[in-house]
Amino acid sequence: MVDQLPAAFVEWIVSNGQLFASGLVFSSIIILGSIGLALVYAIGDFPSFAHGDLMTVGAYTAVVVNVILGLHLAIGFVVAMVVTAAVALGTDKLVFRPLEGRAIELLITSIGVAFAYRALIHMGFGPSSRSYDVGGRGGIEWIRETFGVTVTPRGATIVLTTLVLVTALHLVLQYTTLGRMMRATAENKELARISGIRTQRVLAAMWLIGGALAGAGGVFLGLELVIRPRLGFSILVVLFAAVILGGIGSVYGAMLGGFVIGMAHELTPMIGAAVGAVPLLPAFGSEYDAAVAFVIMILILIVKPTGIIGGKTSA
Amino acid sequence: MAENSNHGMNRRDLLKATGAAVLVGGLAGCVGDDDADEPYEIGMVDSLTGTLEPYGERNERGSELALEHINDVGIGDDDRGLELSVQDDESLPEPAVDAARVLVEEEGVPLLIGSVGSGASMGIHESVIQGTDTVHISQNSTGAVLTEEPDLLRTSPSGAGKGGHLANLISDDGYDEVALTYVNNDYGVSLRDVFEENYDGDVLATVAHEEEEPSLSAEVSEMEATGAEAWLFITYAEEFIVFVNEMYDRGLHEEIQFYGAESTIADSILENTPEGSHDGMVGTSESAPEDSPVYQDFESRFQDAYDTSPTVWACYTYDAVMLSAIAIHVADEFDGPAIMDVIRDVTNDPGEVVNSLEEAKEIVDSGGDPDAINYEGVSGPIELDENGDPTGAYQVYEVQSHEYVWGDVLT
Repeated sequence: MVDQLPAAFVEWIVSNGQLFASGLVFSSIIILGSIGLALVYAIGDFPSFAHGDLMTVGAYTAVVVNVILGLHLAIGFVVAMVVTAAVALGTDKLVFRPLEGRAIELLITSIGVAFAYRALIHMGFGPSSRSYDVGGRGGIEWIRETFGVTVTPRGATIVLTTLVLVTALHLVLQYTTLGRMMRATAENKELARISGIRTQRVLAAMWLIGGALAGAGGVFLGLELVIRPRLGFSILVVLFAAVILGGIGSVYGAMLGGFVIGMAHELTPMIGAAVGAVPLLPAFGSEYDAAVAFVIMILILIVKPTGIIGGKTSA
Repeated sequence: MAENSNHGMNRRDLLKATGAAVLVGGLAGCVGDDDADEPYEIGMVDSLTGTLEPYGERNERGSELALEHINDVGIGDDDRGLELSVQDDESLPEPAVDAARVLVEEEGVPLLIGSVGSGASMGIHESVIQGTDTVHISQNSTGAVLTEEPDLLRTSPSGAGKGGHLANLISDDGYDEVALTYVNNDYGVSLRDVFEENYDGDVLATVAHEEEEPSLSAEVSEMEATGAEAWLFITYAEEFIVFVNEMYDRGLHEEIQFYGAESTIADSILENTPEGSHDGMVGTSESAPEDSPVYQDFESRFQDAYDTSPTVWACYTYDAVMLSAIAIHVADEFDGPAIMDVIRDVTNDPGEVVNSLEEAKEIVDSGGDPDAINYEGVSGPIELDENGDPTGAYQVYEVQSHEYVWGDVLT
């Protein structure tokens, strides 16, 4: 009986393999978006509602390079990261910095910035749905034969690229001078400045990193769904859940939170069936995916009010 | 008393100022008696952005052609024009209510056309229209739920008929099991209910999804788990694109027979899904009366203007605007109650059949007898019933070689 349990567990996992595979792809996109959101929170002490639409900026930048100029999407991806980083920094200089850290004003202003991004995209590209001119549809054959799940070349690229970007960010944060300065600045801006750190430059670096990752996430989101003006806005709520779950303002928390929320979102049918197996509790399906993500967030916050990694010293 | 004399002073001041303006600026046309040359202004809430954007473009074109005719002919004895003040509803109910507020409460239009999504139309009606005298016509909503609001008129027919046809179609194709997914709003829920009532077989799953969901993989997994070979999609263009691509990736498109309704037809769907991804898909949609000369005339005008054939949705909007103009012409006054008094009568027997404002003006003077005319539009006979619903016709479509091919007309 006891021996059978692991086997049953493995079978249960395998029978839900597709949900895990989709969850990995979705989580990757959420992670890229939520890191930037966490960085902005760490620097500016306000939740930026423009972050979802910043991802849309990335998605449309890649449209320009890939669809309009006809270059490969890989080039579009890099250009999207650069342009989105520049847009993020430019918006900070033009709009956010003059508000001098007044959180409520910044929050409301960021909603306006979100509308501005979306309106400009709408004016430039129209309201219609678009797709990138790139292959990579259809499942990878050997994965389908071995594991019985569909992973598309697109999905695999998204997961692997996210791993590379997250690892690179980790190395920068832990092993470079810039990383140490960033962590110090996020921890205590005043103290960092008194210690001789040029905080303005560090803040600029953080905007650039957050923007670049948002751009990457936007391209991936457009690749998985379809590119439309409200693309990034539609996942903003999920990003907030990830950032709050991980511990507001913590980059590592955002990574972990993004993973948990993304997985919970995609594994909802499995979770629903498991809950339904408990007497008196109803089974539920994917229609409650957003709700499940938030219930998990709330449960974790009840146990640990600062979020998974919140309260520790990390950027 | 004091108040009265003040009032008098003010009015005299105003008259003096007006006189001065007329003399100095020569602005007689603008301030003349009762704005005689000003066009009548009505409002329209439309889905210019968001997932229903394909409808927004159809609506724009349909209303432009109607306005062109109306402004050529002119409404009433003084041939006044008609102006359509348009607001976007982003394909969502809350922005739709905001948009309607602007038009009804700020601009004070007595007649509001709006909108596409059934949730948006219901939201507008319940939150903005009810309790006012404003006349409300939905141009494109097909949700069966609108029937419950008799004062919510529409030129597009209720989806109740379409759902029944869809159920028969799937049964006739030999499928006694189906998995169904629907967009979780008034449109999706009401069409789902109608379908379930009419379908003889088993509905193995009814999977809800939200508009603009960031991922639909779990929904596809859930439907796949039922083992049903026929899947029915009650959803909108952007969501359907994501469904089709997800199913194509998993190779499900080769195993599953797709069924859909009117909202799973759009050029943007064909453009954003791979060739062959949903060939063989069958569905039912509202249809224009292609044999009627009125429609054919409209079609050639539409072709000339936009170099493409009109969809039935453009026809519904054309009729909504044309009907508004005729009702304003026949009404005693340009206000909500007067227009509401006549608007049903001008679409029903008795009365001589007219197909345009021009023909209506030949038969009935402004403020005349609404029973003298019976407007039959480019989308069909209209005939608004006591629930505000028109009669409608439906047609079967199939996707062949990544194109829409139209089949039998169902009535």
